Amino acid sequence: MSCPKTKLISAYLDKELRLREKTAFEDHVQGCASCSHALEEMRLLRTSFANMERHPAPYGFATRVMARTAELEKKKAPWFFPYFVRFAEAAVLLVVITVGILAGKVMTNSSPATTTTNISSAFSLDIFDATPPGSLGGAYLAMTEVRNEK
Amino acid sequence: MEEDKSIIKKNTNGDSIAFEDLVLAYQDKIYNLCRYMLGNAHDAEDAAQDAFLKAYQALPKFRPEASLYTWLYRIATNTCIDYKRKPVFESLFGASEEGERLVHDRASDAPSPEQLYQSKQIDQALKEGLGKLSPKLRAIIILKEIEELSYEEIADTLEISMGTVKSRIARAREELQKIMQKFREQNP
Repeated sequence: MSCPKTKLISAYLDKELRLREKTAFEDHVQGCASCSHALEEMRLLRTSFANMERHPAPYGFATRVMARTAELEKKKAPWFFPYFVRFAEAAVLLVVITVGILAGKVMTNSSPATTTTNISSAFSLDIFDATPPGSLGGAYLAMTEVRNEK
Repeated sequence: MEEDKSIIKKNTNGDSIAFEDLVLAYQDKIYNLCRYMLGNAHDAEDAAQDAFLKAYQALPKFRPEASLYTWLYRIATNTCIDYKRKPVFESLFGASEEGERLVHDRASDAPSPEQLYQSKQIDQALKEGLGKLSPKLRAIIILKEIEELSYEEIADTLEISMGTVKSRIARAREELQKIMQKFREQNP
C-alpha cells in the first residue's frame, strides 16, 4: 500500500515545496520505503526526459511560414479598396441630395405665373408699409373702406 | 525579455519582416513542442506552421505587457490539442541522424552499443508513453519536462490555476511511471 505522502514527490522534485515542507518530507523519506522507492522511480523518469532529444525546426521552416503569411495578405482587400469606399460614399450623398431637390420641386408643384408673382412680390417695397398687403392691419383698412362706401 | 519587447513593438507596427524575427526566435521551441505532442515530423511541421499563422493573425490584439513566449506556447498547445489527426509516434528506427547524435551525447561517456540501444529503447518507450496520455496531460508534462517551463509559466500558458498545474503534473508522471515500470519488466 503506497504512502499518502507520495503525492508530495512531484512538487518536491520541482522545488515547489516550502522550506519547512521540504525538510519534513526529506525526513519522512528517510524512514518510508514506499516514498523512497517512488522518489527513485520519479527521478529515473525525470532523467529519461532530460535525455530525450530536442528537435530543432526543419530546414526552411521560417521561409515556409512567411510564404503562408504572404498568401494571407494577398487574400485581404486590395490597396485601393479604402478609396473605392470613400468614392462610393460621396456618390451616394450626391444622389440623396439630388433626389431631395427633385422631390422638393415636385411637391411644391408651382406654375410659372405663380412663380413670377411670388418672385416680384418678394422684391416689392410694399412690405415696408405700415399695413403691408396680407397683414391684419391691411385687412382692417379694407373692411373700413367697404363700410364707408356703403 | 528585451528582445521579445522589441519584436512585439516591430510586429504591432505591421512590420512583416519583424514577424520573421519572431518565427526565427521561437521556431525550435514551438516545433519541438508540436513534435512531442503529435509524435511525428510531418504533423509537427503542419501544426507548428498553423500555430505561427494564428499568431500572425492575432498579433495586433496581443497585449505588450503579457509574456510573448507563453502566448506562443498557448497557441501551439491548443493547435496540437485540436489537431485533426490522432498522434502517430514514429518508430525507433525512424530516428534522425541528428537525434542519434544527441542521444549519444547525452548518454554516459563512451556508451556501449547495448547501453546506447537501451537508451534509445527508453526514449522510444517514453515517447509511446506520452502518446498514451490524454492531450491535456501530454501537454502539461511536455511543457514541464521537455520545455522546462516553471509552474507559473505553465499556468499562464494553459490558462489554468497553479493547483491544477500541480495535480495534472503529478497525475501525468504517475501514469508515465506505470508505463515505464511495465517497459522495464518486459525489458530487464
